[in-house]
Amino acid sequence: MGVKGLSDRGRQLLLDFPPLAALREHDRKGIDEIIGLVEGCAAYKRDVALPMALDIDEQMEKEPEYFNWDMMREACKYNIFSLAIPKAVGGLADKYMISGMALAVEELCSACGGIGLALAAHSLGVAPVIASGAMAHWDTVLHEIVEEEKRGNPVLMAYGITEPSAGTDVEEPEFLEVGKIGMEAKKTKGGYVLNGRKCFISGGSEAKYFTVTAATDRSRPLETWTTFLVERDMEGFSTPRVELKMGQRACHAAELLFEDVFVPDSHVLGYEGDGMANGILIIMAASRGPVGAIANGIARGAYEHFLAWTRERRNGKRPIDEDRIRMSLADMLGIIQENRGLYINHSLVGDAVFRSAFTHPIFLSAFLIPRSIRASKPYAALLNSYYGKAFVNILFRYFIKDDEVTDMLAKASLAKFNCADNAMELTSRALELMGTDDSVERRWVEKAFRDAKLTQIYEGTNQLNRLVVYNTEIARTLKVEVPGPFKKGVS
Amino acid sequence: MIKLPEFSEDQEYRILRETAAAYAAKELGPQAEQLDLDPARWRIKEAIAKAEDLGMLAALIPEDYGGGGLDDYAFCVALEEIAVEEAGIAAVLLAHNAALLPAAMGEFKALITGVGPDAFPVCLAFPGEVSFADGKVKGRVPFALNAQECSLITLLPGGGGGTQALTVRGDAAGVEINAEPYQMGLRAARAGSIRLEDAEASNVISGGDMAGEVQRVLMLGLASIATGISRNALQKAYAYARERYQGGKMIIEHQQMRIFLAEMLAAVEQGRALVKKACEDGGLAPAMVAWLRATERACKSATDGVQVHGGYGYMRDYGMERLMRDAKYCQMYPMTSQEALLRLLEISETG
Ligand SMILES: Cc1cc2nc3c(=O)[nH]c(=O)nc-3n(C[C@H](O)[C@H](O)[C@H](O)COP(=O)(O)OP(=O)(O)OC[C@H]3O[C@@H](n4cnc5c(N)ncnc54)[C@H](O)[C@@H]3O)c2cc1C
Repeated sequence: MGVKGLSDRGRQLLLDFPPLAALREHDRKGIDEIIGLVEGCAAYKRDVALPMALDIDEQMEKEPEYFNWDMMREACKYNIFSLAIPKAVGGLADKYMISGMALAVEELCSACGGIGLALAAHSLGVAPVIASGAMAHWDTVLHEIVEEEKRGNPVLMAYGITEPSAGTDVEEPEFLEVGKIGMEAKKTKGGYVLNGRKCFISGGSEAKYFTVTAATDRSRPLETWTTFLVERDMEGFSTPRVELKMGQRACHAAELLFEDVFVPDSHVLGYEGDGMANGILIIMAASRGPVGAIANGIARGAYEHFLAWTRERRNGKRPIDEDRIRMSLADMLGIIQENRGLYINHSLVGDAVFRSAFTHPIFLSAFLIPRSIRASKPYAALLNSYYGKAFVNILFRYFIKDDEVTDMLAKASLAKFNCADNAMELTSRALELMGTDDSVERRWVEKAFRDAKLTQIYEGTNQLNRLVVYNTEIARTLKVEVPGPFKKGVS
Repeated sequence: MIKLPEFSEDQEYRILRETAAAYAAKELGPQAEQLDLDPARWRIKEAIAKAEDLGMLAALIPEDYGGGGLDDYAFCVALEEIAVEEAGIAAVLLAHNAALLPAAMGEFKALITGVGPDAFPVCLAFPGEVSFADGKVKGRVPFALNAQECSLITLLPGGGGGTQALTVRGDAAGVEINAEPYQMGLRAARAGSIRLEDAEASNVISGGDMAGEVQRVLMLGLASIATGISRNALQKAYAYARERYQGGKMIIEHQQMRIFLAEMLAAVEQGRALVKKACEDGGLAPAMVAWLRATERACKSATDGVQVHGGYGYMRDYGMERLMRDAKYCQMYPMTSQEALLRLLEISETG
């Protein structure tokens, strides 16, 4: 990115952060690279997000359909839509794929939770294309995102798993099995016909591509759960409704409606029937840490505005001169550092899992084939064929082990609910200390308070995340089983 | 509906409760979301006019001054019932009543009978911010409920321990009212900041601990409003939990949901008991304790209520997120909780 946005002190705080400092001793270049990503996000924060965040928030309350495309177009200059896209196809994700993402997201959300979500939800939409190893789409969809970004056109993705009558139920295998699933994908010649609804999909009304889940047999949702790549202009697809949210308003939560949408076989990501283990669980294992980072960004933003407020003089006095305020500031800093520790803990584990695959010479050798061939129809057909998928799968099985993903999921879920609860605590406390003082800083903290609540709800409610930590880490009854090669249909 | 624990109350309070509840259910409940976001404010004005028919605008003022003559507890009972449907409207009524108190205390009968139905605010100006000399007021009040369309401003320039109150007409020369650019909660009681440039005081009222009395009433009232919010959260979350199927059963069957609901129920009990005690005992300290605890609990009830609703709780149409915003404002006004705690100890030290 090459833009410097962090203050000297902000940069130093990151460099001094123990896990990063320790890693940097061994891998200066790698760590400096992800700090470079944060630098870019900090510049975006300063130049784009902070100046418009309060206005967007207010505007979207009055006019829920409003969307600010400027903030998205500006984000192209900072390559924010390529954060999760592997370097092999021109993106920024490398050895520290998840840590880089998480730190970047914290920085963006410290400006505005809503703008941060609008940018991060895109990467969530991208994730299933990467994690399922659907390489046939790397050179088309992901490549398009990177290329269009260079031209200043945001090509966005969104991830849709939640349904009107299944929220928590789609986040965990045991519940999916007994859930009331509405989305169905009926097999037909050459593909599937999708019917049903998804709700609350972040970025859903702006995205061009969607990764969505559906059951091929609604009476057996767990065994037949499948991830599809859907394009906005497919016939029968629409986004009829956006919600009026309490916070994180800059990003729409949209309803996706599928009315006999034909999706070709090539758009199945992974295999039919592996949508839970190879889909949702791996995605959640990768993304819940960064959601913790969203929460921490919101908390940090609140802290920054609160700190500024404590320094304002009112009636000749400054709150910061009182020791109760100083102690609260220390508490807040403690929360922020603790949160960062939790999500870095997760994301470094996640990096190790994905790094072994995405930076391995065997894997990279696949990209030595010229792009013209890789993006060609016959090559895509080969990758999408039975043997093609099996080959990619063997490769992934070789690098990515069930236990590692399970461990990643445990750490991710732990970071997610803790960071979210802590962010609620911090923002709530800051408001309690400010009272109804008529400072602009109070408006920022009020917004952060509204923004923070969402982090306890999405990516699985905090209750669900606690259950996952119990199941993965304590009872060890939940294990992510990445499917083996040569899987064919649903058994 | 979930049944609340038995609560003993005299007949007259029960009747009042029912009257206020009927008003709230009819005039506020069906349009609660619109009252919260009502830029044109005609809905709010209508709702307030209907409350005036019940005598809620001068409820605390003695009858021979043209008021309702309610005692503190009766007023709190009515506020709680109103807040169960829309806390913002309850806040309009509370602030209005509190603003009239000094006039009643100082026996300014004409002032009270001369006040029209327009809501008007009480402003607790802190020492040093507002000065008064030669009949003119100068300074700035950072935040006052009902400020936006007030006809009369009651100022308590002495802050915490003041024995003097001033009234200034909202349209007097030198008065500039700026609406709060974004008010998160209790929005019907549209707040603003007030700048006074040598504005003429229409009345100077003195006698008694006026600021203390106004604070006491505000805190009792906010504690009741907060309790109403907890009740609303409980009812909404309970009803939703019985309808929502997730994890193989209705979510009311999940223990954590039951614990959230039971906490809300406990919050209602606690709020009511503390308010009742504070009304019976009188004095600022019990009112402060009631306010501190009831508002804290209401914040939790509302936040947990959103959680029980999952993603739906975060959206305006389910009416849960509003409670979170309102509860927080009950806790942030008229002072911060730490300031109240420090003051509480001070009061208790000096006896
Ligand atoms: C603004 C916003 C953006 C979102 N963005 C996306 C997105 O981009 N993509 C996407 O797919 N989804 C998205 N979601 C959906 C989000 O992930 C769900 O809201 C969340 O998983 C909760 O599901 P639910 O809302 O249906 O709540 P429910 O599952 O109905 O839960 C209601 C309550 O019951 C509790 N509960 C449920 N099941 C159990 C159980 N088995 N044990 C104990 N307690 C239980 C929950 O903890 C919660 O308190 C978004 C949601 C919101 C609000």
